[in-house]
Amino acid sequence: MSKLSIRNVEKTFPGRNSTAPTRALVPTSLEVADNDFITILGPSGCGKSTLLRIVAGLETPSAGEVLLEDKAVSGPGPDRGMVFQSYTLFPWLTVRDNVCFGLRERGLPRAEQLAIADRFLAQVGLKGFENHHPAQLSGGMQQRTALARALANDPKMLLLDEPFGALDHQTRELMQELLLGIWEADRKTVMFVTHDIDEAIFMASRVVVMSARPGRIKCDIPIELPHPRSYKVKTTPEFAAYKERLTEEIRVETIKAVTMER
Amino acid sequence: MSPLFTPLKPVAPTLRTVLGIACFVLFFLGWGIATYGGFVKPLFLASPGDTLTAGVALFREFGFAEDIAVTVWRVFAGFVMAAALAVPLGILMGAFKPVEAFFEAFVSFARYLPASAFIPLLILWAGVGELQKILVIFIGSVFQLVIMVTVIVSGIRSDLVEAAYTLGAKRDGVVLRVLLPAASPQIFEALRLVLGWAWTYVIVAELVGASRGIGHMIIDAQRFLDTGQMIFGIFIIGVIGLITDLLFRALNARLFPWARGR
Repeated sequence: MSKLSIRNVEKTFPGRNSTAPTRALVPTSLEVADNDFITILGPSGCGKSTLLRIVAGLETPSAGEVLLEDKAVSGPGPDRGMVFQSYTLFPWLTVRDNVCFGLRERGLPRAEQLAIADRFLAQVGLKGFENHHPAQLSGGMQQRTALARALANDPKMLLLDEPFGALDHQTRELMQELLLGIWEADRKTVMFVTHDIDEAIFMASRVVVMSARPGRIKCDIPIELPHPRSYKVKTTPEFAAYKERLTEEIRVETIKAVTMER
Repeated sequence: MSPLFTPLKPVAPTLRTVLGIACFVLFFLGWGIATYGGFVKPLFLASPGDTLTAGVALFREFGFAEDIAVTVWRVFAGFVMAAALAVPLGILMGAFKPVEAFFEAFVSFARYLPASAFIPLLILWAGVGELQKILVIFIGSVFQLVIMVTVIVSGIRSDLVEAAYTLGAKRDGVVLRVLLPAASPQIFEALRLVLGWAWTYVIVAELVGASRGIGHMIIDAQRFLDTGQMIFGIFIIGVIGLITDLLFRALNARLFPWARGR
């Protein structure tokens, strides 16, 4: 059974000031199995973030529907935890209270909130930073807090929109290992949007490649690298083969996107 | 180019204080030269010394402390009334666009009505008592404040709101636990600005139909051509303004330490 069904979802943004409407997504269907880690790979402007935001309920599709465990998605909710590319921690709350936010909205007793928050903060390696404010944290630490905040709600799915996009390369690789480790332990169903090919292959059990505007799914490649994966997998010939293939697929799309802009 | 005058380059704290004081020193120096040097007749401009003497006399013989207390009370009462209405209304207008659409045109219109033009009407409606003075300040402040709070709340980062929704927050949670805390430091700053304007209205209100207050004292002094008292009265308003400004800044830093340097 599919955890998530995306059925003929399309999105057209209305034109503003007599400009033509933008077709961000042609009718797109995708099935995501329980415990899958799917990365959506594509050049910028291919509609991959739009697709993710539709699943999150932050955008409404122009047509089609999204089903999570056979129930139609009609808006955002705590069953789909999300981590954004921008830093979205609440700056007035401490790290601990940021992680407690969803639990508090749900009306959990404070003691329970704190126990859950501290567990997830420990999982992302932020023990000792509970009372810091976001402004006192590095970008990587902020995104780890955001990950803990999403996980603390125990969502059915985790949606990540280029969460490591603003981080430096080294921090980024550590974050990938952290997220992959969490997935290998808990097997949450994950949908992860990125334009980084290495990142897409390293973490995924499936890489879905999207084409340039209007966005559509171009190919869907299962990644059969064994788990648990360490960073060393990135230098194996199997990894290189996936990378070669995906590089070709993406390159064609990027060239298309660039020529369209001219 | 001198390294001191590099655009946006911060200035050392001690130099900053010295420069700030230097401006006051120059001001008094210019004033002293103009009066003691005989360039301006004492009838038009009292010397700093005469002004100080007049001030001492005001406190000793004319109960000026009571005038100050009355004026401060009027500003405070009118300002608190304005804030009590404007802050909640501005938050509602910022958060809910139909509310904004309903009030915005009217408030923008009302904002341009000069508070002083209401004084004759207010005397008709409320007499020449305290209520009339307080209402002038209320009318002068409330519409400005509504617009400012609306703009502040409308400008809160939408990704923070989206994050709250994906964490399970509902409408009220978003308004009370995201928009309100996110907007608080800037609302506090808007209150500081509007309080400054309230001071200009109170004096105008006291020029007409008042038997106490700083503005009334200034009008009284005019009758006796006592420029020393007039200048001292104006000067005291500046000093009170400076003190409240510093208090507001200190309170802001204390209440919202997380917002510093943003």
